[in-house]
Amino acid sequence: MLNLDMGLLSKKARRVSDDGIAMSCRVRLARNLAGERFPDWATEHDRERVLGKVRDALRVEAPDFRVGPISACEEQDREILCEAHLISKDLLERSAGGGMAYAADGSVCVMINEEDHLRIQGFSGGLNMETAWQAADALDTRLEAHLDYAWSPRLGYLTACPSNVGTGLRASAMVHLLGLRLLGEIEAVVRGLERMRLLVRGMGGEGSEAAGQIYQISNMDSLGSDERTIVQRVSRICAEVVRQERNARERLIQESPLVLLDCLARSLSVLQNARLLATSEALEFLSAMRLGTSLGLFTRMKVSDVDKLILMMQPGHLQKCLGMTLTPDERDEMRAEYLRRKMTNVKLKG
Amino acid sequence: MKCELCHKAEAETAIQKKVDGEDQELYVCGSCAREALRSDETLAASGPAVAPGDSSQRLSALPLMGMILDAAFEIVGRTVSFSDQTCPVCGITRSEYRKASRLGCPACYEAFAKELDVAVEEMHRSLQHTGKTPEKARALWQRRQLEQALDSAVKGQRYEEAIALRDQLRKLEKPDAGREGDPA
Repeated sequence: MLNLDMGLLSKKARRVSDDGIAMSCRVRLARNLAGERFPDWATEHDRERVLGKVRDALRVEAPDFRVGPISACEEQDREILCEAHLISKDLLERSAGGGMAYAADGSVCVMINEEDHLRIQGFSGGLNMETAWQAADALDTRLEAHLDYAWSPRLGYLTACPSNVGTGLRASAMVHLLGLRLLGEIEAVVRGLERMRLLVRGMGGEGSEAAGQIYQISNMDSLGSDERTIVQRVSRICAEVVRQERNARERLIQESPLVLLDCLARSLSVLQNARLLATSEALEFLSAMRLGTSLGLFTRMKVSDVDKLILMMQPGHLQKCLGMTLTPDERDEMRAEYLRRKMTNVKLKG
Repeated sequence: MKCELCHKAEAETAIQKKVDGEDQELYVCGSCAREALRSDETLAASGPAVAPGDSSQRLSALPLMGMILDAAFEIVGRTVSFSDQTCPVCGITRSEYRKASRLGCPACYEAFAKELDVAVEEMHRSLQHTGKTPEKARALWQRRQLEQALDSAVKGQRYEEAIALRDQLRKLEKPDAGREGDPA
């Protein structure tokens, strides 16, 4: 059994690509309007006025965008937007004047009156950070013709928190690093990244834990280097992290196949049999499924299928999918049932 | 600003203290800060305190920006006695933005420049923007600078300089003015 598995694992090792490791990336630009209080200190009336100015500018420069106040979204839809990382929890909690705008193709999304007046976000798959940067930069340049940005030659774009001043740019990549975790090497990698002045956070951004070993890596400094230099640096370092994770996966297969197979088999078993599953717990097992599928070790399952499940099993998506509002206990029950159904025919190869 | 505990020496740093069951931030002199650290009664059970030159104390529970700003205040506070400054545009006070870790408006960067520059440099290892320049904002900034210089030249009766500045301002208003071939 072990020999067979090892043979299979060795073959699969050659197929490991970065597809399953670099999940997505984002470039965000923080912008504020001159002469207006920052959202946290503004009155509801001030925020409504800013929302109106931004909406007017978007109507001219991005007429195909959907724009509206967050309060116009149903509660469940807001949760879904947050789970998909299009908007933040801070924006959800904004009582008045909070808004969002997004391109139909999902490449760009703007948060209005979050921590700053505008947070323009460009998205892309894998590590295509240049694509994400270009999308955010293009919209920013168009909006600039209509909005008076708060800017100074010395400090650049002025932001509500000095940690974002300068370019106002945060380039981040979401990476799945379970291989490094299983080898006990993740802490060293995180320490190394922090020494290179990169921020390492969980999937949910600031203050979140790296549940499921999904990490968000981003630049710490936003002042002193130009935008392209920051984007290229983060991208280059993240590519190195991906290379390290790939190397860790290969070593796992070669040197500790039992550790890997045990992790995969246990995870599949829980997902196929559990009757109650909390979100964080489900994410841990799906993380292992993701590693297994990227190595080609599970039948009838692709990495993109697991990514879809990671999204669908979250509270907002789950309730939307089932068309009902559930209590947390009911959600755990329905989540377990949903994942059991999806895992019915999945098998560990070998 | 005088120490809020002894009311004699100049305040050097901030500590947190429980007053009537509520955590309050007090600006105190070095001696009172050290005294507060020694006294269990004075130091709130959960209240962090920051005193200059004492690294053995409990870590401050203030947010990251607050901690960096604290360090900046220590440096700035030794040479300049600070007061609870207010931003002239949005009215937010220094202690308010420190507690919230968010500034009130873009003008706060000028109002609190002394301490913010220290904090910004600590955060980014730089104090000079080198990236994108929004054309409208750059023009507005240039215009303000010229207007201030013109005002100063007029007040100082430096009329030749004032005329040159006025001409530059006019060029900004009508970028085509003065080009060869322009109709008079």
